Amino acid sequence: MKVKKLLAGALAVAMSLSLAACGGGGDAASSKPAASTPAASQPAASTPAAPADDVADAITVWVYPVGGWGDEAKVKPLIDKFTADTGIKVSMEWLAYADGDDKVNSALTGNNAPDVIMEGPERLVANWGVNGHMVDLADMIDATDRQEILPAALAAGTSTDGKVYLYPMFNVAHCMAVNYTAVKEAGAEANINLDTRTWTVEQFDATVKALHDKFGGTVAAVFCGGQGGDQGTRELIRNRYGTKLTNAEHTAYTWNTPEVINALTDLKNMPGIQFDASLQGGDEIAKFYQGVLKMAFCWNAAQQLDPNSAGTGEGKTLTGDEIVYMCFPTQEGKNPEEGSGVWGLGAFDTGDAARIAAAKQFIKYMCDSENCSQAGDISNFFSCRSMAEGVEIKSSNPLLVEYYGKMMPYMGEYYQITNGWAGARTEWWNMLQRVGAGDDIAATVAKYEANANAAAAG
Amino acid sequence: MANSSPLKMSRALQRRENIAGYLFMLPSLIFFIGFVVIPMVICIGYGFTDANMNSKTAATTFVGLRNFIDLWQDTTFLLALKNTFLIVVVSVPTVCLFSLWVGSAIYHLKGPVLSAFRCIFYLPVVTGSVAVTVVWKWMYDNYTGILNYVLKGAGLIEENINFLGDERFALWCIILILFTTSVGQPIVLYVSALGNVDTTLIEAAQVDGANDIQVFWKVKWPQMMPTTLYILVITTINSFQCFALIQLLTQGGSGTNTVMYYIYYTAFKLTEQRGHFGYANAMGVVLAIFIGILSAIQFKLAKEK
Amino acid sequence: MKLGAKRTTPYRVVSIIVLVILALLFLFPLYWIVTGSMKPVTEILNPEPSFFPKEFTMNNFDRLFAKRTAPLWELAVPFSSQFSASHRPTYFSVGPTVPAAFRWLINTVFMAVAAMIITCITASMAGYALAKKRFRGRGILFSLIVCAMALPKQVILIPLIKEISALFMWDNLWAVIVPTVGWPFGVFLMKQFSESVPGEILEAARIDGASEWFTFYNVVTPMIKPGIGALAIFTFINSWNDYFLQLIMLGSGSNYTISLGIATLQSETSIDLGILMAGAALAAIPIIIVFLIFQKYFTQGITMGAVKG
Repeated sequence: MKVKKLLAGALAVAMSLSLAACGGGGDAASSKPAASTPAASQPAASTPAAPADDVADAITVWVYPVGGWGDEAKVKPLIDKFTADTGIKVSMEWLAYADGDDKVNSALTGNNAPDVIMEGPERLVANWGVNGHMVDLADMIDATDRQEILPAALAAGTSTDGKVYLYPMFNVAHCMAVNYTAVKEAGAEANINLDTRTWTVEQFDATVKALHDKFGGTVAAVFCGGQGGDQGTRELIRNRYGTKLTNAEHTAYTWNTPEVINALTDLKNMPGIQFDASLQGGDEIAKFYQGVLKMAFCWNAAQQLDPNSAGTGEGKTLTGDEIVYMCFPTQEGKNPEEGSGVWGLGAFDTGDAARIAAAKQFIKYMCDSENCSQAGDISNFFSCRSMAEGVEIKSSNPLLVEYYGKMMPYMGEYYQITNGWAGARTEWWNMLQRVGAGDDIAATVAKYEANANAAAAG
Repeated sequence: MANSSPLKMSRALQRRENIAGYLFMLPSLIFFIGFVVIPMVICIGYGFTDANMNSKTAATTFVGLRNFIDLWQDTTFLLALKNTFLIVVVSVPTVCLFSLWVGSAIYHLKGPVLSAFRCIFYLPVVTGSVAVTVVWKWMYDNYTGILNYVLKGAGLIEENINFLGDERFALWCIILILFTTSVGQPIVLYVSALGNVDTTLIEAAQVDGANDIQVFWKVKWPQMMPTTLYILVITTINSFQCFALIQLLTQGGSGTNTVMYYIYYTAFKLTEQRGHFGYANAMGVVLAIFIGILSAIQFKLAKEK
Repeated sequence: MKLGAKRTTPYRVVSIIVLVILALLFLFPLYWIVTGSMKPVTEILNPEPSFFPKEFTMNNFDRLFAKRTAPLWELAVPFSSQFSASHRPTYFSVGPTVPAAFRWLINTVFMAVAAMIITCITASMAGYALAKKRFRGRGILFSLIVCAMALPKQVILIPLIKEISALFMWDNLWAVIVPTVGWPFGVFLMKQFSESVPGEILEAARIDGASEWFTFYNVVTPMIKPGIGALAIFTFINSWNDYFLQLIMLGSGSNYTISLGIATLQSETSIDLGILMAGAALAAIPIIIVFLIFQKYFTQGITMGAVKG
């Protein structure tokens, strides 16, 4: 009996000691003032520039595949330039939208968050920012910056208590796209106004019908296999009868309305439109790019420039069909409201002043310097500022200029920062799955809106 | 246990056994206790709190049994629980029966043919779960999948079936993939167990006029019982490892949620829900209890045989 | 000499035909991966699939390799995290920068082999103790092991991440290896094997004055060798396939395993089946070749596990 207890005790002590030893070592390391470790800048000494003593010599940057920023080859030169200029080494990681959130959240769980992250306010502000995981960047934005940055973008990056968790970089209006070659084959090109790129619900329905009659099968998919690209289905549905999905204060969801229910009913009963729970936004784009689907609801300027990121030419499907971007259809005489996309950089609060300083240096370099222009060009979106440090920021790509003129005036408000957003978007795609499965639409909408509001209430 | 030992050990000998036993166990115990038992204990502890990812802004408090009570009212959880058991209840017997049939059909074949069959049925296991999932996703595809193409070509279906997007099919599609990656090992096991059956007993039975089916059930089957039990255990373990399939194919949609995926989902997707870590851990505790009971039953059966 | 083994009955003929069809169906996904990885994208995406590639191309592999890059291998300077301002270890890149897929393969092999070796050592020792040492608490320990065997790792997801992070192992291949070793199935398997070691031999060794370790190493180990082989195979495949642990434990692209790498290639805005199939082929083919070479030992090892079990 005694031996057993002794052994068990010894085992327990050994275990806890080994745990404590590791933990203790780590604590000592992280509480050590960074300035007292001159060895830190040693590896960087060979490079022309070296970070200041109180700035870490290496940071980790995680990016969601925001437009062209998902392409390592495009991003690398700019990152290398940053390292050469500042002496701060950057290890970049690319997240996928399918499981990027899980990745960040699991990192946060173990205090392994990266230093810098690139994404939109829906995550940086509404989720991680208000929950205390991000650094307030307000001190980086002075009066000049406030003049230069698009007010709507800056507002989206700012939380209700005035903290800036996202330094805006670029924005775009999310729209939809049609396979124009197929539309012409179906003889429905009269519905598509290439000048305004707007259309009415009747024109849209007639186009779907023409395409369905000509090609059969599924013309367009209301994809609901997950949250990826869900802005497409949201904008399609809310524009149909012109409504908003949240209240003006962004505190509650208001999608249990006749407008939404009617839009869902119309789409559910429309031949050629399928509620497809096997697709997410990315799959839908791929299917559209393949020529299988004739319309895509998850579209934007970067997609138009390089469909499916496949590098097979601007505005063309895999088989060479012409892609035309369009606004979401609305009722006659109503202006469309395209989905608003804003992206930027944020810094995680790693509790280490040196690393936060390096992260801020990175953000400044990308968002507020002469490099801002290059950073924007990589994205294939539109820079959120007109000037940066006295340099004019402007896109020269003709397609982007045209897209800017046609689509950006219709960009809607950024409502993805409503409370409980991560939970609400889950409810959204689950709701679409239930509608697709044939449940009673009004009851389903009511139920999932209530769930979303429960998430908003916390 | 020591008391049940037939020979009465002296105190010194017992001491020696204790020390040696634990020293031999030590390396394994460090890993087992460190990375299975301790996390499990913490998990149980968390299950009674409203712990969450945002501990910087929301403090953790003890909530008693609230998470467990909530679980029984959570329809998503109940559906996930139902699916989890459906997967186990369907896949374990079908895997066992199928591999028994394949085993008995191939065990008497010539060496190279036998090993060719064994290899082929084992291949999905070694191919790797993610590679298998990726290719099945493409085969199931609603628009360009080969399954729809073949079924349509054969005139079995008129319209493409949305295998992974339709709740009537999705879970069964996942069970099918799980099935193909589970039968390899049981087949190998049954082949060798059938090869090792005592032939004198079979001959005696045949002399007594027993037909093939009688020989199988009366003579071979009882001798294969230990193999069958072992197969039951590994297949059950395997059925609980379907996370990759769910995460990569449906993300728990189309009625394919399982408790394993829902735990992950609650922990890392519903981060705004209050106390989501506590809730996820409570789910883990419930699942662990069910699995514990299942294992206990299996081993009770094993002991009786 | 089995009676009736050579008899050809209608049932046998039918069952062989059914078996051949089934075998073809089981082979099909693999065939589809391999041919898919060599088809041009237009052919992959054609709604009317071609069962045999009309045109062979290595373009999918080229695009896979061009997508991400990583150093071939990295070595951390011991204790360097203590001295770096970023509190991260200083890494030395070993070898040239290669397509990340190669690095993922190397990572996967490293992870699976390390898990395999450590598990074989710890589990054979523990299994022997559980089977042959009448120490106190043995029954409770064994029950605990049996109950934990079927436990999915999702159950301990959150505490495990916190613990691994506290030990500074997160985003390191060891974070995947260590819980794999902790999984008690190996101990169970080795206990079943060690039961078959005759007690008299151990007794004889004890009377000869052999130390405990000597007895284990020189007497027991040779007798349970087939069992260790079985466990090695089991752990290797298991670790290779454990997508979940890899998903939650590995954060940076240069530490990914091949499974995780392929899964990540399915990003929101550019799903490219050609690249995916090339990745799947790259993940599957090396291990299949290993399997075919060691096929005999695989089947022997697996069989051993059960006959004793």
